[in-house]
Amino acid sequence: MSELAIETNSLKKVYRSFWSGREVLAVDGVTLRVERGTTYGLLGPNGAGKTTCVKMLLSAVHPSAGTARLFGRDAAEPEARRSIGYLPENHRFPTYLTGNSMLEFYGSLSGMEAPVRKRRIPELLELVGLDRWGDVRLGKYSKGMLQRVGLAQALIHEPQLLILDEPSDGVDPVGRKQIRDILHSLEERGVTIFVNSHLLAEVEAFCRDVAILHKGRVVLEGKVKELTAGKGYRLTVPAALPENLRAEITSRASSTAARDGVLDLQFSGRDEANRAIDLLRAGQLEIEALTPTTSTLEEVFIRSING
Amino acid sequence: MASHTYGATQAIVLDTFREAFARKIFWGLFGLSTAMVLFFLFIMKIDIVEGAAATISMFGMQSGREIDAGRLVKQVQAGIATFLYTWGMFLAVFASAGLIPSILEPGRIELLLSKPVGRTHLLLGRFLGNLLVVGFNIIYLVVCVWFILAFKTNIWTPDFLISIVSTIFLFAVLLSVVVLIGVTLESTALAVMIPAGLMVISPILAQHKIMMRLLGSEWSRRLWRGLYELLPKVYDLGKMTLDFVTDRRVESFAPVYSSAAFGAAVLALAVYIFQRRNF
Repeated sequence: MSELAIETNSLKKVYRSFWSGREVLAVDGVTLRVERGTTYGLLGPNGAGKTTCVKMLLSAVHPSAGTARLFGRDAAEPEARRSIGYLPENHRFPTYLTGNSMLEFYGSLSGMEAPVRKRRIPELLELVGLDRWGDVRLGKYSKGMLQRVGLAQALIHEPQLLILDEPSDGVDPVGRKQIRDILHSLEERGVTIFVNSHLLAEVEAFCRDVAILHKGRVVLEGKVKELTAGKGYRLTVPAALPENLRAEITSRASSTAARDGVLDLQFSGRDEANRAIDLLRAGQLEIEALTPTTSTLEEVFIRSING
Repeated sequence: MASHTYGATQAIVLDTFREAFARKIFWGLFGLSTAMVLFFLFIMKIDIVEGAAATISMFGMQSGREIDAGRLVKQVQAGIATFLYTWGMFLAVFASAGLIPSILEPGRIELLLSKPVGRTHLLLGRFLGNLLVVGFNIIYLVVCVWFILAFKTNIWTPDFLISIVSTIFLFAVLLSVVVLIGVTLESTALAVMIPAGLMVISPILAQHKIMMRLLGSEWSRRLWRGLYELLPKVYDLGKMTLDFVTDRRVESFAPVYSSAAFGAAVLALAVYIFQRRNF
């Protein structure tokens, strides 16, 4: 079996209006490689083509060009979807179903035998904290509860790949923590998790790899740690420096900020930081702190979107 | 693989039943059928005199003359078959029209398509579920009425039971139109109006022999004839059912074949469009 959970090659989608013939390019040659067992975040501003990409992986949308493969199989084959669990954004679960009957239904469609379903359903409802809600109709569930039962639905058949579209949308902080814990335990068991989200802090905290989509194209892809790692250093010194020394050090810094009796000096490289430290130590002055600086995923995201 | 196909089909059919229960579709049809069964059971009284002649009484009022018991049973059965064919069919189409567009709602269809079930399987499973919801009610009504009449008159004529097959067959043909409208336009209103239109236009088109003489131009005669041949022959099928029930000779089975061909072609088109659509 393929070492890649998801593999797309030059995936493209053009929507054509039936009446006017107008074309909209939603996805433009997206190539992704998602390794087995990783946690992967697909990011992008609204209208970037994220949802269309996910729908092409699930064969809900037919690609105009390119290929999509799941564990080495063509994504268009129903069998390729056997090992996938999916939680859509803005899901609309039938409100006439109860938590139990909903899991029963989607479990059957996923090819689970009745005795396995019978064992898994209470386990999953307990896992997502809805064990006392199994017999209640989904129409009575809150948005957060629907999100949690939706996650249980995605996990019912113990998938090897989990595709989550805004998984913590509408969930309170406690529920979010619960979802994160569940996803971490799945990650430890080697399940590949593919998250489509606009919550950058969550993606940064959870995902190992990310791709940023903009106007249908991948504008940045890589390991979160590498993308957010910075080469700069922040030096914190007492604000009361001799005037000439202060002038020399600040001229080498890329930015300075004074606060609470200290001066924060930002250096873009190691050499500049070392030179400033040498000057300070030569003058027998104290150094409060020296920290390597990193970018947040949000900063990386904004930089990549703005080109 | 085979067990998954069976399991998934069972799940889709069961889900259709659940939705029909929740939307009160099943109970509505079942309630109407039960009301009719109760009418025959308690209100309509048939008195058999010497095993051959009968009088009917309803609400304490008795029919004036004795009629042949066998003929009476046939006439009542023909009445039920006609009711099923007209109002029953319209109600069934009306009740079923929303069951196809409902699965195409955004947020629901993507999840269904993410499962290892082919699109054709999904759509035909829903079609089958819908057919069974209505079919169950038709079987319930016809078998109960047949049994009550037979029990009251001791005349056990199985011909009436053919109306189960013919009514379900016609519903399947009209349901294929409902499915096509559902997957193309996602409109419940049109999914009612178009099959109802086919039912209304059928008796008019069936007068093609008269119309051939009345229509002035060749193209209008061809158009009339073409529409008659193409569209499901609701009127002819109904007439055929009545012929069966009342022991008359059936002239031709051609309406069955052409209507079946229409239904199969429309359903195949619906499946093709459903396969090609983006959701």
